[in-house]
Amino acid sequence: MRNQMNPTVERILGNIDKVMTGKRNVAELSLIALLAGGHVLLEDVPGVGKTMMVRALAKSVSAKFRRIQFTPDLLPSDVTGVSIYNPKEMEFEFRPGPIMGNIILADEINRTSPKTQSALLEGMEEHSVTVDGVTHLLGKPFFVMATQNPIDYEGTYPLPEAQLDRFLLKMKMGYPAPEEEMEVLNRAQRNLPIEDLQPVVSLEDLRDLQQSIKEVVVDDTLKRYIVELANRTRGHSSVYLGVSPRGSIALMKAAQAYAFIYGRDYVIPDDIQYLAPFVFAHRIILKSEARFEGITTEDVVNRVLARVSVPVQRLVK
Amino acid sequence: MRIDKSKKDVTFFLLYIFSFLLLWEWLRPLEELTDTGHLGVFLGFVFVSLMMSYFNMPILPSALIKVIIILYSIHFMYYEGTFFSLEWFGQLFNEVIVNSVVIINAEWTEISNVFRTLLFFTLLWLMAYLIQYWLINRKQIFVFFFMTLVYITVLDTFSPYEADAAIVRTVIAGFAVMGMLAYYRTADREVVKKNLKSAKKWMIPLVAMIVLSVGIGYAAPKADPIWPDPVPFITSYNEDSGEGSGGVKKVGYGTDDSALGGPFIGDDRVVFTAEADGRHYWRIETKDVYTGKGWVADKGTAVPVEFSPEQNIPMQPFEEEVKTEQRTSRVTPKIGYPHLVYPLGVTEVEASSGNSTLQFSLDPTTEKITSIADGQAGSIGPYSLNFNHPVYSVEKLKAAGPEELATEFAFLSKYTQVPEELPERVVELAEEITKDKVTWLEKAQAIEKYFRSNEFVYDQTLVAVPEEDQDYVDQFLFETQRGYCDNFSTSMVVMMRSVGIPARWVKGYTEGEYIDTLENGRRLYEVTNNNAHSWVEGYFPGVGWVPFEPTQGFSNNVQFEYDNKDDSQTQTGQEEEEDTTPTAPEKPELPEEQAQVDKPKVSFSEGLKSAGAFLKDNLQKIFLTLLVLAVFTAIMYRLRGRWLPVLYILLYKYKKENKYMEKAYIALLLQLERYGLKREKGQTLRDYANYVDSFFSTNEMRWLTEKYEEYLYRGDTDEEMWRNAKKYWEFMIRKVSA
Repeated sequence: MRNQMNPTVERILGNIDKVMTGKRNVAELSLIALLAGGHVLLEDVPGVGKTMMVRALAKSVSAKFRRIQFTPDLLPSDVTGVSIYNPKEMEFEFRPGPIMGNIILADEINRTSPKTQSALLEGMEEHSVTVDGVTHLLGKPFFVMATQNPIDYEGTYPLPEAQLDRFLLKMKMGYPAPEEEMEVLNRAQRNLPIEDLQPVVSLEDLRDLQQSIKEVVVDDTLKRYIVELANRTRGHSSVYLGVSPRGSIALMKAAQAYAFIYGRDYVIPDDIQYLAPFVFAHRIILKSEARFEGITTEDVVNRVLARVSVPVQRLVK
Repeated sequence: MRIDKSKKDVTFFLLYIFSFLLLWEWLRPLEELTDTGHLGVFLGFVFVSLMMSYFNMPILPSALIKVIIILYSIHFMYYEGTFFSLEWFGQLFNEVIVNSVVIINAEWTEISNVFRTLLFFTLLWLMAYLIQYWLINRKQIFVFFFMTLVYITVLDTFSPYEADAAIVRTVIAGFAVMGMLAYYRTADREVVKKNLKSAKKWMIPLVAMIVLSVGIGYAAPKADPIWPDPVPFITSYNEDSGEGSGGVKKVGYGTDDSALGGPFIGDDRVVFTAEADGRHYWRIETKDVYTGKGWVADKGTAVPVEFSPEQNIPMQPFEEEVKTEQRTSRVTPKIGYPHLVYPLGVTEVEASSGNSTLQFSLDPTTEKITSIADGQAGSIGPYSLNFNHPVYSVEKLKAAGPEELATEFAFLSKYTQVPEELPERVVELAEEITKDKVTWLEKAQAIEKYFRSNEFVYDQTLVAVPEEDQDYVDQFLFETQRGYCDNFSTSMVVMMRSVGIPARWVKGYTEGEYIDTLENGRRLYEVTNNNAHSWVEGYFPGVGWVPFEPTQGFSNNVQFEYDNKDDSQTQTGQEEEEDTTPTAPEKPELPEEQAQVDKPKVSFSEGLKSAGAFLKDNLQKIFLTLLVLAVFTAIMYRLRGRWLPVLYILLYKYKKENKYMEKAYIALLLQLERYGLKREKGQTLRDYANYVDSFFSTNEMRWLTEKYEEYLYRGDTDEEMWRNAKKYWEFMIRKVSA
């Protein structure tokens, strides 16, 4: 692609690259979610560098990084924070939980009980938490990167569909390629460079970027294209539940962010096509027959992409 | 995919049964149409073969059993003695050897019955195997079912075999087999267990549907065929096609005239050659009873009269007062018929008897003369005929009338017979034609003349056979008005009889084709089957039988004498043959169109024909024009990749507005697709541009596409966009048109 990356974004990604080997696309997608005001669900096994990636991202944008390790006995208040009676002041005092940060790594979110999960997810959606009747606004930007073990691991509480819908993107990190892993080893021999990572943009700049993404043009033909894609998932023969309108919005926002990253002020179908699997796949529920046949939601999205014709002419008004 | 033994359940057994029924339909007609006997044996063989296949008997034992059955059956049918004696087996072996030689020599008729039976068994074996193959391996029986239907319908159409029930049986069995096979195919494909339960689910609706469709088909009214029976045309190509069955006849002399009508085809076989002084028709016999369908001879009480070559022939067709000329003709038969051909007024036959005694026999009813050699009817060699050639006096003919015959009741009723069912309109027409005429001669001539009118068409091929309840003459006179000599002559006889003039129907040959003038001054004529003919003789009291020729294009050489004048007017006609040269049907162009007016039955085909004629006349022009247009269009279409880009460039290059960018770009996309670079439905323009550029090793498509994307997806763009992008576009479209 001839489009040049947005220089600010280029800087952020370059910074992350200093500590991460490969995985540029994961960093890019995370950044897209961050810029589009969404959240990311990473489905992967431990030890592939999720935390490292998020920390690097947080550091690069000088955001406050928090990490919540979800365990089965974690309580909602462990996430949101608690009001504690202060005998000195003679009143309840709010002790903020780990959710009160800018970039949150919610590790192994499916290990904890649904109750605790929903505390986090409510915060993700509302950008606020309510403790003892008092509503506390969350940081801005607020970006959650949740990770979950693949569902078939034992002792997990799979996220309900409605809550999955709240993640803008879902992706897999995957193991690094052998050469990349060699490089990982090489870097590990030296020291862990994450501590030395310097921020490249201020939080203020980040907010500006988030603002300018909203101005990226999405032509009506492409809105119709998105709608048609979402619509096709709903009617697909293997699909039990298709993509919700929230999914369509998510795809549009993500596409805007993606276009912006690549220095365009307008979305092209390529953006949509690239992002559709990440945005749509986790919002689709397959019929059990289709699941048995080994069809994945990604397959469905890719098939829909192949079937829906890309708009190549302006809409006739 | 083979079905293992355990899967062969009840339904599969039914499958075999129905297939067997289908195969049975092939054998059924044999009994009726051929002299095949012992059909049960063959059926049993087929059944056993199929059953062995059903029970999956290994090939070797089943083949052994089949061979034993075949041998035993052959022994049962053809040989005496015990089955276990080797003697008959030796004979059979010899038979096979001998017949193999016969087959190699292609002497099909020589093949013996035993060997035929053996071959038939082999064929059945093959069929049984084929059915097994269709059922088990292919799971498709449609081909066989279709062939069975074709076979049955063909037999029903072309042979006496009545396939009404067979069609129903075949359809039921065929649907059943196809339906069940569809079940097995579907079950295989969908990997469904083939048990009784799943079979039930399929078979009950299948049965219901078969019952329903067969029931509807059986109960539904069946329209009569719109087209005339095609069979006569087809069977006419069969050399052995007989006469009298109402089908196509080969032209020529035949004895059975009880069912006239139907098309004719020519036959150039020479029947005899004749040396004669002049032209005259050759009679064979007359017939006097019109049945409504054709002619039969009134057997009556008349006894054949025998006479020898030297005796006068006891036949007097006209009174002695009639002026005659003594003539002699010599006939050399080429086809051995026992009957003689002779001119009207024959008095004597001279023939060399050789060693045998030669006698002739005259049937007084039909006036047919048969030669009898050594007491047996048979053909004879060349013979000479002496005859009195009549010159009829018109005066006398005019004088002849009903009065003189008033007492001859038997004669009158015989020769004015018409069937009771004869439609009234025939009589009315005859009366209408003759109402202004006084004498019998005038009346007869008026009727004769009536047939010369343009309404009638001489034709040998498009000739109808009367329906069961239809009169042959009535059909010709009022419906078809198209036919050959039999139509014309029969109609004239019937009409003459209707107005009370005694008349009879005469069969024989025309004078034939003039070949040569011989040294003795006589002329040589060749008479072929094409010259077979029929005409009319009317009886005039005081004169006798006078021939008339109603058939268009023919003329009888009957001499009439106008007494008060010196010159005798002789009606001599052109030598016209009843042949099938292609010029014949062209004559009556006009009458065909007239016939359309009030003859709906004919008009359909006539209308088709006239439309066809128009097409035929202009066919070349129409065809050529269409061809040129089609070729031009096709070439332009094929080459559109060449000229369309030029057109596009002309159209869009000089435009400035951005909206032409879209049109130009879409045109480019189409052109690229024609070039063979297809864009998938879900492929983005950018992706496609990369593909195109990598194909041509260019960059312009990408650049152009970027501009177009901006135009398309960004909305408001700068005014100069198309102007800037134009060069890329032109580059690309020239690239793909090259």
